[in-house]
Amino acid sequence: MIGSAEKTWFILMGLTILGAVVGEAGNVGWPLTLSVVALIYIKSSIVIDHYMEMRSANQRIRNVLRLFIILVPMLVILSFAWGEEIRRFTTLS
Amino acid sequence: MITTAHQKIGTPSITTLSETIDNETSRSRIPGNTGIWVGIFCVLVEFLMLFSVYFIARIHNPEAFLNSPDKLLTIAGTTITLFLLSSGYCMVKAINAIRSDQSKTAFRWVNLAIILGFAYPIVKYFELSWYAQHGINVKGGIFFGTYYYLTLNHLVHVTWGLMGLIFVSYRTVKGGYTSESYSGLEAAALYWHTTDILWIVLFTFFYILR
Repeated sequence: MIGSAEKTWFILMGLTILGAVVGEAGNVGWPLTLSVVALIYIKSSIVIDHYMEMRSANQRIRNVLRLFIILVPMLVILSFAWGEEIRRFTTLS
Repeated sequence: MITTAHQKIGTPSITTLSETIDNETSRSRIPGNTGIWVGIFCVLVEFLMLFSVYFIARIHNPEAFLNSPDKLLTIAGTTITLFLLSSGYCMVKAINAIRSDQSKTAFRWVNLAIILGFAYPIVKYFELSWYAQHGINVKGGIFFGTYYYLTLNHLVHVTWGLMGLIFVSYRTVKGGYTSESYSGLEAAALYWHTTDILWIVLFTFFYILR
């Protein structure tokens, strides 16, 4: 019998293989960036809510974890959309 | 007639109140223990800083980060991800087993988690050996410098996690956890899952993103 833990594991395996296929396809640009952002967010959310069981635990802790997995994809989008501006801002000389 | 109607209305409302209290209690529960969360948040802040290093390096060297990922072994990164997430699944099963007071079953699941977890450094060793044979090392440019810096840092944290799993495995077989008291086992599992999340990000940054 397939339980919820098994379903979660199957989904994570599938998303990991999907990610590898997307990476090997050699795409660049916004489609790849958005796919990457979605993969990070979805896989991390599954780990937080199903592996760590945070959905039914302390919501402040869950919110901090969720903030982390929102911040990282945002950094990906920021670096892609405003790379030149950030490069100038972070140049020392 | 009035009493029956009152009961019909009253009974569900009492159940709902009980469920609400249970739900509220559950939602204020701190899984594992407070100490492990201090550690986990420190690790998350540390890696947020390391990810900033990655982004700054990437923004200043777009060419290196566009072409260099092709030289990495995606199969190695994928295999590590599959092993780590499968190891995490075993810890979920171990927690479920201990909640039913099945110490022996929990012990087996923790040991399987350890075996799958050790696949990570083994695959990493072969991956890095392959890079060394093909002249891909830390001096190979900013992309590889960042790659080695972040992934080896993650490997260090996985090592702490594996040591934690070995410790809780010993405690489990010695009967140290019951369905009433298993915060140590849960804390080790939570730290282990945190390394999963960090690897999900690193795998995507270095092996997929161009």
